[in-house]
Amino acid sequence: MFAYIVRRLALMLLTLFGISIVIFFLLRIVPGNIVDILFAAAGYVDPADKANLERQLGVDQPLVVQYLHWIGGLLHGDLGYSYVSEKPALDEILPRIPITARLAGLALLFSASVGIPLGVLSAVKQGSRLDYALRVVSLSGLSLPSFWLGLLILTASVAMFGEIPIFNPDPKTWGELFATYCIPAMAVGFRSSALTMRITRSSMLEVLRQDYIRTARAKGASDASVNFHHALKNAILPVITVVGIEAAFLIGGLIVTETVFNIPGVARFLVEAIRWRDYPIVQNLVMLIAVVVVLANFTVDMLYAVFDPRIRYSD
Amino acid sequence: MTAIDFESELRRAGALASGRWGKLAYLARRHLLGAIGLVIMMLFVLTAIFANLIGRYDPLTVDAVHALARPSWQHWMGTDSFGRDVWSRIIHGARISLAVGIGSTTLGATFGVIIGLTSGYLSGWVDLVFQRVTDILQALPLLVLALVMTAALGPSLPNVILAIAIPLVPVVARVIRANTLALRELPFVEAAKSIGMSEMRIALRHVLPNTLAPLIVLATAQLGSTILTEASLSFLGLGIPEPYPSWGRMLSESAAEYVRTAPWLVIFPGIAISLAVFGTNLFGDALRDILDPRQRG
Amino acid sequence: MRSVGALAIVMALSMLATGGIALAGEPKQGGILRIYHRDSPGSASIHEGATYSVNVPFMPVFNNLVIYKQDVAQNSMDSIVPDLAESWAWSADKKTLTFKLRQGVKWHDGKPFTSADVKCTFDMLMGKSPQKFRQNPRKAWYEQVNDVTTNGDFEVAFNLKRPQPSLLALLASGYTPVYPCHVSPAEMRTHPIGTGPFKFVEFKANESIKLTRNPDYFKKGLPHLDGIEFTIIPNRSTAILAFVAGKFDMTFPTEVSIPLLKDVKSQAPNAICEVEPNNVSTNIIVNSSNPPFDNLDIRRALALALDRKAFIQILFEGQGDIGGSMLPAPAGLWSMPKEMMEQIPGYGPDINANREEAKKLMQKAGYGPDKHLSVKVSTRNIPVYRDPAVILIDQLKSIYIDAELDVVETANWFPKVARKDYALGLNLTGNAVDDPDQSFYENYSCGSERNYTNYCNKDIEKLFDEQSVETDMTKRKKLVWEIDKKLQEDVARPIIFYARTGTCWQPYVKGITVMVNSSYNGYRYEDVWLDK
Repeated sequence: MFAYIVRRLALMLLTLFGISIVIFFLLRIVPGNIVDILFAAAGYVDPADKANLERQLGVDQPLVVQYLHWIGGLLHGDLGYSYVSEKPALDEILPRIPITARLAGLALLFSASVGIPLGVLSAVKQGSRLDYALRVVSLSGLSLPSFWLGLLILTASVAMFGEIPIFNPDPKTWGELFATYCIPAMAVGFRSSALTMRITRSSMLEVLRQDYIRTARAKGASDASVNFHHALKNAILPVITVVGIEAAFLIGGLIVTETVFNIPGVARFLVEAIRWRDYPIVQNLVMLIAVVVVLANFTVDMLYAVFDPRIRYSD
Repeated sequence: MTAIDFESELRRAGALASGRWGKLAYLARRHLLGAIGLVIMMLFVLTAIFANLIGRYDPLTVDAVHALARPSWQHWMGTDSFGRDVWSRIIHGARISLAVGIGSTTLGATFGVIIGLTSGYLSGWVDLVFQRVTDILQALPLLVLALVMTAALGPSLPNVILAIAIPLVPVVARVIRANTLALRELPFVEAAKSIGMSEMRIALRHVLPNTLAPLIVLATAQLGSTILTEASLSFLGLGIPEPYPSWGRMLSESAAEYVRTAPWLVIFPGIAISLAVFGTNLFGDALRDILDPRQRG
Repeated sequence: MRSVGALAIVMALSMLATGGIALAGEPKQGGILRIYHRDSPGSASIHEGATYSVNVPFMPVFNNLVIYKQDVAQNSMDSIVPDLAESWAWSADKKTLTFKLRQGVKWHDGKPFTSADVKCTFDMLMGKSPQKFRQNPRKAWYEQVNDVTTNGDFEVAFNLKRPQPSLLALLASGYTPVYPCHVSPAEMRTHPIGTGPFKFVEFKANESIKLTRNPDYFKKGLPHLDGIEFTIIPNRSTAILAFVAGKFDMTFPTEVSIPLLKDVKSQAPNAICEVEPNNVSTNIIVNSSNPPFDNLDIRRALALALDRKAFIQILFEGQGDIGGSMLPAPAGLWSMPKEMMEQIPGYGPDINANREEAKKLMQKAGYGPDKHLSVKVSTRNIPVYRDPAVILIDQLKSIYIDAELDVVETANWFPKVARKDYALGLNLTGNAVDDPDQSFYENYSCGSERNYTNYCNKDIEKLFDEQSVETDMTKRKKLVWEIDKKLQEDVARPIIFYARTGTCWQPYVKGITVMVNSSYNGYRYEDVWLDK
């Protein structure tokens, strides 16, 4: 078990290292950098000013040097400076993390508290009209473009309540707090709850087909006891996996939702930084996202190892 | 494997249908949602193929006089701010969505199969390297990777297809590799080896065909998400540029200006996207039930 | 009560730069003005920016030497009033412009303001000081300035190479604040220090910009507001919904498009909206150094093919203006009379006749119904650029040109234009000051950095100088019309149209004036107040 954890940790580091290379060079393979953007914004090009600025920002150095500089700094906790705001990248990124984390946490909570019960219900009533209805609803949830959903919510709330749930940096009432976090969280969570429901359903179905469930039923255990005591307990493992997968899925949803609801979190910041080609911000943010995803996967694997004795640790 | 599953499916349900059509009819009845999905998908494909016949106007022709016309007999879905016929644009947009969907899924699946198959079949250091590459690609959420790629490559139809295809590679490679590993141990592969077939031939003739079922299931499931990803990229300003009538851009750009003054510009592309994705999802679900009963959902 | 009101009126009238508001009732003190901002400006330094995304939030932090009177909608020489300068005077030879400066003014950090600060600012703009701007987009404005000299702490003189009456207009722009000498350009980008009515509090990129009242402002009793808060909302629909829901007191200036305006009016009928020209022209940059547009016939055909009314109809539901390189009347001061304009090829009212002529020119160049010319129309991946390009492509079909849209990322746009790697480009040109010097030298003069097409005509160059030194307005206008007509006939950079855009605010916001011939100069906000 210990050797397994060490091995997984080592692989994790290797993956992160690989990502750093991919993202760093991907951003730089095409012509056009921050200096071009800054001059495009200023509407003129002056070769001398341009060369000056390139030297100042260090983008005239060989790529390998720039890369080593970045990684070296990263290991010391120095993320470099934003090209645009000229502030330390860490100071720009750090205050945005809690906002996105809160939103993601609420979205996950929403998705689990809606998705798991409905998934169980759908599995238990397999083949019934309810099952059909739930499946259709969950599939349509996965079919709606998420920005469209967010925009509908905004439009509807202005039309119906004359209020708009966009971000408020210091909410004063519970209502404002709710509007600031819960409504966007539901917009993101809606799609993931559809995903959670589908996976809960299928893993429940698989468990329900197992021998020991049949045995339990044969021994006269009540339906409720079988469904919730025996089946759900065993079906919950794959659901934990879903939470891991959803970490990645959620970030995609957050990018769009933070844009629609104007939430100054990490995800929208990434989009803005990409637009400005603010490399130090983009590459650090992508690394941050990768760390979150990799850690989520790692945690899920560990939980699996703890909860499911059938897993062997050889691979 | 595929054939066996069909048969067992039929047997399990005690179907006595005879002939190909009978079986199909039976499957359609048993997987009603899947059949509906298939019909939607077929409509979608036919629309794309016959766009020139169904579309009543040129989707690119600007008509100042009839800009922002409400839906009417002349313009079934109204016109946009340039006076272009929305119905024709949606019909032609099916081509773009289909190109993005099929293009990126095929591209992603092809590379995924190549990597998965070699990785699973050859094992050793090749496997190790490919495994790490898929690890890397999988640690980045689809939209993040697609966003960075379109930003790096610039927005154009081929670049968007490429940007959406690459995140698919590891997903496919994983599944194919797992299947290949399992197949490698099966008796018929052993047998092929013992009669002296070359490794390459075994991989292509025996292993590959047997991974088709999970591949098809996976590809269908991804088709919908590629269309949605293109829409999200468009919303963020990095999707397929004018003049192509991409549903994603039609929706996201009119959403910015015309949510209430010209709602038809927002409603119809939204319906087109949702319907197409819904159809492929329904069909994908049923396909998985039929081809890959272990993962029944 | 009455005497207090009277006192306020007297006070308001006594403040030369800020009169006018008294008519709307007694201004109330206090309150925070909430505005949404359309995007996150790259920095807080006005001198290093080239978009009013920087001017709007940061102009309230500064003062100029002179400024366009903030409550007069049309900028002109007559609406220029003193700001940090108490008065100004031209020397007899019209080559020296002297300013007497206000005494006792303090920077926001407490240091006194002197003539050295003025000299520092303009030396830096002319590239003459050791401290450099990261970017200096308006260096060309000071081409005719030899040097800036000080005479004691409270007098500065601009010494010119030749008379240039328009210099005063450039100095009155929102683009020309005076910077403190003791603060580095880098600090000014992140934490600007000015003398203005509002102090900078914070700028969180992509989130918000906050300003607070400067209690020591040298104009007594101003500003009325306690502060201004800009919330950055790049998504237009979200922003407008938030305004309609009452989250904001005002929209970002000029950011409400005509379709959105209808929406605002139906959802928030009390909101006050003004639609005005913003002096931004949409034009075509033509690559005349390479085929096919090195051929004047084809360039002329291009000019003749344009149906400018259709552009305006589609993009602004008719609310736009047709003109040459100067903003059209009545908002613009320098546009040529209508009869004169209609003589220019392509400006005549009969579009079909124009296009017939264009077809003949195309046939002369070897094209026709069976042999179409294929070109690319390059433009930036931003709707205000892309949308007119779509219409342009459609219109070119009528003269045997099959054009294809080539969407270029912002990062690659200027390098591409500089490489001459385009045939036709769709471009937007914003004019900070409605003045021929600014427009001609910047966009059409040989060797100017913003003359993207490298159009260079020595004869016209001479006329540029001739109008620039002219002090008689009537004579200067005639010259300007002549130049403008020639520029259009040469198809140097065909102007398609001038947009009009909307600005909306809630009825309790008082003292807002939307300027009609510039969108860069009207954001001091010192006399704005909230009637709540």
